[in-house]
Amino acid sequence: MTTTLPRTVRPAAVSEDAAHLTRLKTVTQYYVVTAFLALFIGVLIGPLQALNYGGINVYEFPLLKALLKSYYQGLSLHGVLNALVFTQFFISGWMLYLPVRDLGVRINLRFAWFTYLMMTAGLLLAAVPLLTNQATLLYTFYPPMQGSPLFYIGAAIMVAASLLVAGQVIWVWWQWKRAHPGRVTPLVTYMCVATWMMWLVASLGLVTEVVVMLIPWSLGLTAGVDPLLAKTLFWWTGHAIVYFWLLPAYISWYAFVPRHAGGRLISEPLTRLTFALFLLNSTPVGLHHQYSDPNISVLWKVLHMFLTFLVAIPSLLTAFSVAASLEDAARAKGGRGVVGWIRYLPWGNAIFSAQVLAMISFILGGAGGIVNASSTFAPVIHNTAWIPGHFHITVGTATTLTFIGIMFWLIPHLTGKRLPSMKLASASVWTWFLGMMVFALGMHWQGLLGVPRRAQISATGSDVYRDLPIAVPQLLTAISGVILLVSALIFFYVLFRMLLSPRVDQGEVTTPLPYSEVLSPAGENLAQASRLVRLTEPLLALWVAALLLVLLMYGPVLLGMVTDLQAVPGWKLY
Amino acid sequence: MARLPVAPVPRLDHHTLERYETIWLVISVILSLLLFTGVLVSFISGTYQAVRSDGGSASGGHHIAGVKGGRLDPRAIAATPFATPGLRENADGSFEAFIVAKAFAFDPAVLRVPAGRPITIHLTSLDVMHGYMVQGTNINATVIPGQVTSFSVTFRAPGTLSSICNEYCGIGHHNMLARVIVTDPNAPTPAGEQP
Repeated sequence: MTTTLPRTVRPAAVSEDAAHLTRLKTVTQYYVVTAFLALFIGVLIGPLQALNYGGINVYEFPLLKALLKSYYQGLSLHGVLNALVFTQFFISGWMLYLPVRDLGVRINLRFAWFTYLMMTAGLLLAAVPLLTNQATLLYTFYPPMQGSPLFYIGAAIMVAASLLVAGQVIWVWWQWKRAHPGRVTPLVTYMCVATWMMWLVASLGLVTEVVVMLIPWSLGLTAGVDPLLAKTLFWWTGHAIVYFWLLPAYISWYAFVPRHAGGRLISEPLTRLTFALFLLNSTPVGLHHQYSDPNISVLWKVLHMFLTFLVAIPSLLTAFSVAASLEDAARAKGGRGVVGWIRYLPWGNAIFSAQVLAMISFILGGAGGIVNASSTFAPVIHNTAWIPGHFHITVGTATTLTFIGIMFWLIPHLTGKRLPSMKLASASVWTWFLGMMVFALGMHWQGLLGVPRRAQISATGSDVYRDLPIAVPQLLTAISGVILLVSALIFFYVLFRMLLSPRVDQGEVTTPLPYSEVLSPAGENLAQASRLVRLTEPLLALWVAALLLVLLMYGPVLLGMVTDLQAVPGWKLY
Repeated sequence: MARLPVAPVPRLDHHTLERYETIWLVISVILSLLLFTGVLVSFISGTYQAVRSDGGSASGGHHIAGVKGGRLDPRAIAATPFATPGLRENADGSFEAFIVAKAFAFDPAVLRVPAGRPITIHLTSLDVMHGYMVQGTNINATVIPGQVTSFSVTFRAPGTLSSICNEYCGIGHHNMLARVIVTDPNAPTPAGEQP
């Protein structure tokens, strides 16, 4: 392998202060380990849901009944911990650490600790009503179903903390830009800053819904809430949030997976284009979650559908680019043939296989997502078991399995501890993929036959589900719950053993950040860079454009709802 | 497996990849546009009936009393046709059905409709959000308190269908079920049964 090609970053370690680096690593570790603790609790509840969709009601067992009041409380905890808490904590640590290392700068670590503690405080506050069945609202918490004010306040504090992390990273990047005029932003920083900027635009809907509508209402300060307006604000954020979960995985697929495979990142300019497109186009697509809702103009639904189809393009570019990186790696090792090269990839390395299995899962999940986004297919699958089938192979595998793979090198890198067993790590990764594939098959299948999502169908009194031909997909779903439980237990055994082992290595030396070589770099100076690099460099301008686009695509819809406000009282029916 | 000795393989180069990249980008854009066109064709051909953007306000020319801009007050449905849910035939021969969702049941629990006749269905909720999905059909709508959800549908063949609440509405959500009985309009109504 040639070593003369430019890397994505210049070696910056010389100017770094060792004490600062150690403290930065500690705060990062706190973020990612808290994330995985949330996932640990969340996934242990998962099999209960899978068994329900296998037709087996386990919520009547006395021990379980003492812990969880209902299927819906279990489902609320599962969804909130896995989809909201796990992702946000991991991403905050990951996308704080990477740009700071990438730029080789010092940051205000007190502020970083403050955001971590604030996020944790929000989590603990929201955990109280979740655990006491005072916020059994599922993770979409649609009003007028009402929960304890603590849930909404805790969630708001958690999201606010993530916005402060975003602010810190953007500020650090901006200081670097001012200190280095005419320079091209290094790629990893570019991807992180673009993702944080997207999140700042995307989160506005949710923040408005929770702060302006739900908190005052749950405290009894307002008599009612307009459920359609609240739901529309929720989906302003609710679809873009899936890109907030996905793009941190893309960062790893672009920048680090080629290195794990032994190949090169294909093109920095193309990667920048991908992230610029996500920044612009991730948010003004949310109405595709509301095709079934009344009193929203069909024209606006169709416009959002069009933009949703367009947001598939940067993902298709990613598929091309990452696959080319892998092929590059395999051919360098002697791989030949149209598909024969695939055997030359390091499938036994769990860091690699986790992330490539995550990609394969996302190809299937993305295809299903296009079905969901099409307003004419939507009535067939909307709110059916198809939907949880879909998001377990997107966020539940593409994102989660990537983060799992990252942990196998990130913890050794941050702490100098060693992965106790590559074999066990691999076993957890492959069983996770297998379990999720079986789960997705069972759930998509049941959904197509008309089984609704989020329903304790194993306890339904009537014959409606017994009359459906769902025995085979139900069996698959139940089996998948068991496979995934085994997989999760192996993974957490590996993770906790690693975390509890002594520090033996210098993380910087034995497990450096796995930057890949680049086939077509962006260059260092803007003046000599290609047109695409120059066009994608002004991230602040792209951010403003993203905000304007979302205001254009949501403004008229929301204005109509605000002028026709229909507030209704809250209910607690759980 | 014994590997054959291989000559050094030429690695991928920038220009080849850039060409493939461009081709792939063009294919991606065309695919997205085709998808969009496909959906629009489905709109025009009438295989897809959208949920109306003016729930109840202008349903087939029939204004619904007490409903304004697709909104009503869920505490005052007595002044609207939702006070007496079920199917009705208008003077001009068109059919309208009013369905009320409330934790954890639909009213009417059994909706009888004639096969082959276009029917406009109006839904509203008295408490939290509900869903209204009729198995084996494309009916799948959100039911929101304070709002009226309206759409038109033609049930083609006689039979019994299950309608299911598919939006989480509380502890009894999974038992919120009803039925649609599609009758043959040419068959005589069985004695003692009201449509």
